Amino acid sequence: MSISNSDTQPLLKLLLVDYNSHKTHILSEALDSEYYQIEWASSSGMSLLHRVKESKPDIIIIDIESPDRDMLDSLNVLNTAAPKPVVMFSEDQDSEIIQELVKAGVSAYITGDVATSRVRSIIEVALARFQEHQNLKQELADTKQKLSSQKVIEQAKIWLMENKHCSEKQAYHHIRKIAMDNSQKMEDVAKNILSLATMLGGNHG
Amino acid sequence: MVNTLLEKQALTLGFMPLTDSAPLVVAKEFGFFEKYGLDVTLEKQNSWATMRDKICTGLLDAAQMLAPMPIASSLGVDGQRIPMITPLVLSRNGNAITLGKKWYPLLGEHQLPEGQPVNAEAIKPLVALKQQQGEKLKLATVFPYSCHYYQLLDWLTNAGIDLEQIEILIIPPGNMTTALKLGHIDGFCVGGPWNAFAVRAHLGFTGVTSSDIWVDFPEKVLGMLASWQLQNPQTCKALVQALNEACHWLESIPNRFEAAQILSQSQYLNMDLNIIAPSLLGSCLTFKDLPPRQIDTYNQFADSESLQLNCPNIEDGRWLLEAMQKAGHLADPEQAAAQLPHIYRPDLFQQYFE
Repeated sequence: MSISNSDTQPLLKLLLVDYNSHKTHILSEALDSEYYQIEWASSSGMSLLHRVKESKPDIIIIDIESPDRDMLDSLNVLNTAAPKPVVMFSEDQDSEIIQELVKAGVSAYITGDVATSRVRSIIEVALARFQEHQNLKQELADTKQKLSSQKVIEQAKIWLMENKHCSEKQAYHHIRKIAMDNSQKMEDVAKNILSLATMLGGNHG
Repeated sequence: MVNTLLEKQALTLGFMPLTDSAPLVVAKEFGFFEKYGLDVTLEKQNSWATMRDKICTGLLDAAQMLAPMPIASSLGVDGQRIPMITPLVLSRNGNAITLGKKWYPLLGEHQLPEGQPVNAEAIKPLVALKQQQGEKLKLATVFPYSCHYYQLLDWLTNAGIDLEQIEILIIPPGNMTTALKLGHIDGFCVGGPWNAFAVRAHLGFTGVTSSDIWVDFPEKVLGMLASWQLQNPQTCKALVQALNEACHWLESIPNRFEAAQILSQSQYLNMDLNIIAPSLLGSCLTFKDLPPRQIDTYNQFADSESLQLNCPNIEDGRWLLEAMQKAGHLADPEQAAAQLPHIYRPDLFQQYFE
């Protein structure tokens, strides 16, 4: 099914995890088929995981009381599959609590009976929030990368200081100069120095 | 009994249907909450993430949490940064690694040495076999920010197993044994009663417990919002005192048997006594026809000699930060360590038991 709506946006694929069929039924009534391609999953545990991998939904919608929630949330942590935003719904009507839940990291939160118009905006917010979270994760990965490149540069500096009998400042400038002259990253220059050091049997603890 | 000092008397606490929810269940059933003027409703939960969200929104006042959860929440590694604290350790140890029974013959000379744990060295042939088949060994646990997850990683890496060769999955505990039975996973690291369940059902063998990997480490803690404690200081004190008393009540073996009987009821674990009781009585079921291992501290709730066992100490928190870094959940444990005294709260614990 690949019908496109008026502005040629591809349909968003939703996977509805059926933990409580009454609730999911109400919810699917509220979803606008013009924007969403809805699929149902009634399984739990591993078979649900396979289903998610096969159907590659854009968004997963799940009841907040479902035992499968930790499993689906973890897809974002373990990187075993492409991360997905998980949208929750519940019969809780208390809007303040819903606000708080959304703040607490639930991508979005849909109540038992909800106007069609609202579902769409909730899902859009979920997507945006999810993206925000992905960006944070990317930042974490970048930080880790930065830390490890700093470590490499640090080690190369120490090797230069010990073997070329220069000060820390001189060692740093030396690495930076090679990097600039060869338009390389400092990290790569440091790696080269260290592999050379290993080859020469130098000490680079 | 009405305690006029308490800011709040009616509390809702979240618990997971696991063996180490015993302190909460005991405090409720044997009147420890009541003794301290609290009227507590225990609410069974299905998911750790949902429990955390309910704490954040005030749907729950406090809960039995995995030891890393207040840290993960306070640092914002699992989404929003929500300051949480723990003033009490509810239990230490209690997890174990169970592998599918079909793998037992492959252990060769490493097959369950009597009374000894299985070193991960023993599973290298399994990993190699899976690799030949173009697959990875699949091991499951219940939550990423959990001791189970970090203990599983340590068990593997301590034996020099490359984590690239292993696929780690998160599955709800109730689906774990089915997944093992169907061969969807090759093993799991979980807390009681699920290891004993798998052995009793002859689905697998339990080769190593968490106390073999991380000795006497906090497993479950009492967790709550930092703001909740500030708003309800006297209530928090009463809650910690009641639960601490329940932990000490659980020190005696006859009491533990009584606790196992209550835990087996449908509103709690809803499971047979012969599955719940062994670990509480210090016995680790290993494999169908083999003798169990005696591990007195399999589920440790208190130490009659000292209060320290229930005190959340900063050193344990540091250990967790390093484990989180190894698992790729945290970039800089040094920076995070400065936050620890605001999360693990030995100061509160000491204040309550002066």
